[in-house]
Amino acid sequence: MTSPAAHLSAVRVPKWAFAAALLGLIVTYLVLQENGLALGASSELLHEFFHDGRHALGVPCH
Amino acid sequence: MTTTYKSLALRGIAAGGIAGVASALVQLLVTEIPIRAALAVEEAREPAGEGHSHGGEEALVGRGAQVVGGMLGVVIVGIAVGLVFATAYALSKRWFVDRTPFSRSLAFGAAVFGAVALLPWLKYPANPPAVGDPETVNYRTALYLGVVVAGLVIVWGASLLAERLRAQPQPVRVTAVLLAVAAAVAVVLVAFPAPPDTIPADMPVNVLWQFRLSSLAQLATLYVGLGVVFGLLIDPATRRAKASEKAAVA
Repeated sequence: MTSPAAHLSAVRVPKWAFAAALLGLIVTYLVLQENGLALGASSELLHEFFHDGRHALGVPCH
Repeated sequence: MTTTYKSLALRGIAAGGIAGVASALVQLLVTEIPIRAALAVEEAREPAGEGHSHGGEEALVGRGAQVVGGMLGVVIVGIAVGLVFATAYALSKRWFVDRTPFSRSLAFGAAVFGAVALLPWLKYPANPPAVGDPETVNYRTALYLGVVVAGLVIVWGASLLAERLRAQPQPVRVTAVLLAVAAAVAVVLVAFPAPPDTIPADMPVNVLWQFRLSSLAQLATLYVGLGVVFGLLIDPATRRAKASEKAAVA
């Protein structure tokens, strides 16, 4: 089998990894939560377009 | 082999995309059925209805586009969550360190599902269209995110506790961690306020629960699927199996 733990210490996480993770969270927020806070008027289009997905993933909606 | 953050991140994105597509298919084939039933309930109310549009003549986005957009949204969320998942995996220093990458990834996917999907689902079950007061959406969103954060703190705390107890025999350690998690979940479920909205009388209870269970199935597909696919992509054992297969053929 694979050697455990050995690969753990080998992973070096650069600083931009946190920016990448933050980007992932922002995208998730925009798709699931955008109710006009960040994008204003264009958000309603986004909100309606992703409507079914938001309901289906169990996020509070209107 | 998979030792740089970049390679982990790319595999996280790929795994998230695949799990997202699987979850979007569950949505198309399963969750859309109660959504359609709920929209029919909403339409039956029509004369009084204004504001929020779910199709119909003057809708901002038509029903067909909402179905496609909803699936696309799930795939995008899968990719974004995959990236965050891979980053957390790369940063993890004590998560089941004695296991294979596949087992670690699968356990991580299951834990994330519990924290950010199952726990909020238990406290604030998913609601189909035609349920939910627009006045309370920000309050409900804050409560929902609060439970998600609490769930992630519980997972983090459980791994910390397991690390602290590593001198104990495994049965003792596992039981202690399970008890602590159960107690923490109970505290969260009791401490957070009840869902603010009542379910309208015209919403059939079977549509409501068909929707809620479909939603849970879809969330499980997304998060557990992410853990499985990411594990397959990063575990050197997968490649060794493939290589020996090729060798056997040749």
